[in-house]
Amino acid sequence: MADRGERAATGRALAMLAPAYLWLLFAVFLPLAAMAWFSLLSDLPLRGREWHLTLANYRAFLDSPAYPALLWKSLRIAAVVTLLCLVAGFPCALVLARVIRGRSREALLLLVILPFWSNALVRVFSWTILLRPGGVLDAALSAVLPGEVRLGLAFTETAVVIGLVHSYVPYVILTAYLALQAIDQSLIEAARALGAGRLRILRRILLPLALPGLIAGAVLVFVPVAGSFMEPRLLGGRMGTTFGTVIEDQFVAVFNWPLGAALSFILLAVVLGILAAASPALRRSLG
Amino acid sequence: MTRLLAAVAAAALVAPAALADEIRVLNWQGYGTDADWAVAAFTAATGHTVVHDYFTSEQEMLTRLRTNPGAYDVVLINSAFTPQAAAEGLIRPIDPALVPNLANVDPALFANEDLNPGGVLMGVPWTWGLTSFAVNTNDFPEPPDSLAVFWDPAWKGRVSIRDDALEAVQFAALALGQDINAIDDLDAVRAKLAALMPQIATFWSSENDWNQNMASGLFAVATYWSGSAARSISEGLPIAFVVPEEGAIGWLDGLSVPASSTRVEAAHAFIDWMIDPEFYIRWDAEGAPATSNTLAAAALPETSFNRAVLGDPEVVARVQFMRPVDDATREAYLLLWQELKAAQ
Amino acid sequence: MSAAPLALSGRLWLGLMLVFLYAPILVMAAMSLNASPFYQLPFEASTRWYAKLWTNREILAAAWRSVWIALAVAAIATLIGSMAAIALWRHAVPGRRLLQALLFPPIAVPWLITGTAMLVFFFGIGLDRGSPAVILGHVALALPYVIVVVTARLQGFDPTLEEAARSLGARPLTVTLRITLPFLAPGIVAAALFAFAVSFDQFVVSYFLARPGDTTLPVLIYTAIRKGFTPEINAISTIVILVSMVLMLLVARLARFGGER
Repeated sequence: MADRGERAATGRALAMLAPAYLWLLFAVFLPLAAMAWFSLLSDLPLRGREWHLTLANYRAFLDSPAYPALLWKSLRIAAVVTLLCLVAGFPCALVLARVIRGRSREALLLLVILPFWSNALVRVFSWTILLRPGGVLDAALSAVLPGEVRLGLAFTETAVVIGLVHSYVPYVILTAYLALQAIDQSLIEAARALGAGRLRILRRILLPLALPGLIAGAVLVFVPVAGSFMEPRLLGGRMGTTFGTVIEDQFVAVFNWPLGAALSFILLAVVLGILAAASPALRRSLG
Repeated sequence: MTRLLAAVAAAALVAPAALADEIRVLNWQGYGTDADWAVAAFTAATGHTVVHDYFTSEQEMLTRLRTNPGAYDVVLINSAFTPQAAAEGLIRPIDPALVPNLANVDPALFANEDLNPGGVLMGVPWTWGLTSFAVNTNDFPEPPDSLAVFWDPAWKGRVSIRDDALEAVQFAALALGQDINAIDDLDAVRAKLAALMPQIATFWSSENDWNQNMASGLFAVATYWSGSAARSISEGLPIAFVVPEEGAIGWLDGLSVPASSTRVEAAHAFIDWMIDPEFYIRWDAEGAPATSNTLAAAALPETSFNRAVLGDPEVVARVQFMRPVDDATREAYLLLWQELKAAQ
Repeated sequence: MSAAPLALSGRLWLGLMLVFLYAPILVMAAMSLNASPFYQLPFEASTRWYAKLWTNREILAAAWRSVWIALAVAAIATLIGSMAAIALWRHAVPGRRLLQALLFPPIAVPWLITGTAMLVFFFGIGLDRGSPAVILGHVALALPYVIVVVTARLQGFDPTLEEAARSLGARPLTVTLRITLPFLAPGIVAAALFAFAVSFDQFVVSYFLARPGDTTLPVLIYTAIRKGFTPEINAISTIVILVSMVLMLLVARLARFGGER
């Protein structure tokens, strides 16, 4: 009897799980499998095109020095952006969680998350207006400082990094805030009672306990940035070619889907490899 | 009387449904077909409405056709790409009976071999013009007469070209005095482009983009299309279009109907309107490339940009017209361009 | 008191970050009121771009499409995501760890790859680009967020409440509807908002799945930036930001956002 009840419960649970997981299967896992298959083809299996299985698309990555160089560039940008987001975002989260209280905290937190709700494209476009030579930033600085100021930031890698940090820093602020906010106040009071200074509390209690939040934030930033193509294209100008823009080109312009798929999987493997390498740290900080 | 009323009522009910299609046009942004007044006049005359989608390179245009069957009814194709589009089965033959204005199209253009792959008309000759360059007259009171200005260190960071492998390679070949349709020294082209890269401020991707960067003073000298230059001048930008001593790249643009179009008649009607002298004369007043319609060309005022620049036989003698490029060559150009960009 | 300068510099830093976050958005909004079509300075006030926007069928249609797609995504993802979260939490389903791990890929795989993979697969099975494909993709992206948010809320739920109701003879459905759901309501609302935001702001996947001519607002904006940008786009962006600001403020009022204890 109990056994049957258990089985019925399991059946109910599976019925409740099925829609979500079938959806994920159809919209994420099967497409990824199809992509893996395409990356091994010599041409698209379309309208009488000749195709056969091959590793040539993966070999193409090694044959041209351009692809590894671009992959490295994308990862470098992602690392810099992630680091800047952590450095810039953590103090904000700290202030929000531990210094500011009451209604103003609520309002400020809302202010931080609000840009996240605006459109990412619009944010990037705002930067092109701001940074362009003779644009708003130059005009503003020229008005304040003596002489004609030309920052020359437009269409540089710096511009790409600025735009990406702007887009992704709210993630870090939010995840770090949630982690900091969950820290038991009595822990800090105990430390204070034992004579620990603010910096010491920060280093020995707040930072370690906020680490899971920081790591989660870092992952949320690093992963999309490594594959970004829109921000580099719009902000980077001649410096804006990244691994992401090359992949986009294969799908949108050149119509070499097999090569695009292979390049995507190389990116995916590298990103997952980095996440796996980071996961002991993640588990340690959680444990 | 009752029967007449019934007929009118039936016609009123049926006609809009049968006639009023929404056609989708795939073109460069700001290139004639999407002028507000032109679309409004077409809708007023035929009842069909027009929606636009844009591309930033011929490659992207072809892929949009390949991956979106049924999404487009009219597509602008540079004649150098028409044979490829036809070979891939992306476009259908033009039905001349549905395009009465074809009667006035310049016979040489009508018979253009690239627009007639296999002897079948696959694209209606629409406009032609030059890819050359324009300078900001604030920086150049006297326009330069050589492509060498692109490599002049004085203009480092103020130069722009389009992010397009084929155009970049052909541009460098032109500067080197090579035949753009049979480049024999690709290494020289590579070296020439590598030397150009540090000069470039950013790539431009559309006419609007070009205008904004010229207006802001970022660009001093940038490659450009003759029709677009005419339009930018008429909008008041301080620029001058130059056909340098090295020559310029000539192109012929055709309008085609995708094989997957379901609104073929409306598409042909739109193409007919596009080569109508009435459309062209108004477009030319705003700035346009040269028309394929001899009636329209004859009706232009003497001062028209197209008469002044493209009507000069000395200029025409220096033009190299773009021809189709085979797959292997295109891939070689693409790889070359990608490697140059990656090295930045 | 060494605390004060530290707290002060922290507040200052937060203030600077807010300037960094908002300056570009304010400039973008200001430019929607500048007459020059090329964003030229000096500034000359004009409402012409708003007037033009009102007659721009394409932008309005894309904006409207983005809204209803986001609503559909929020509804679907919240429903099936909440169901899955409750099932995972309530029952010791075999392979629970694996099922939880499977939520990771949609977040961990760069959108560029997810988007292109969906394009390849949907193209292969003959599902054409268009709004149904976009919704399919967006729901998959939103699901993990929904499950995570609802699960987080469930952590604070006492399972003995359900047991008590069951032992009093309530049927499972009744338990869910009368006991579990009311407790979960704030989490579900938050999850729905999350799903809405994921869809409304989603560019990459839409870019590969939307049908040309029937695009969503982010795709239209990308196309516009690359292929010819007019201040009408600034105008619609400003409206979007204002509307989402008002929405967020409403939600904050309702849900006491910020986790005050």
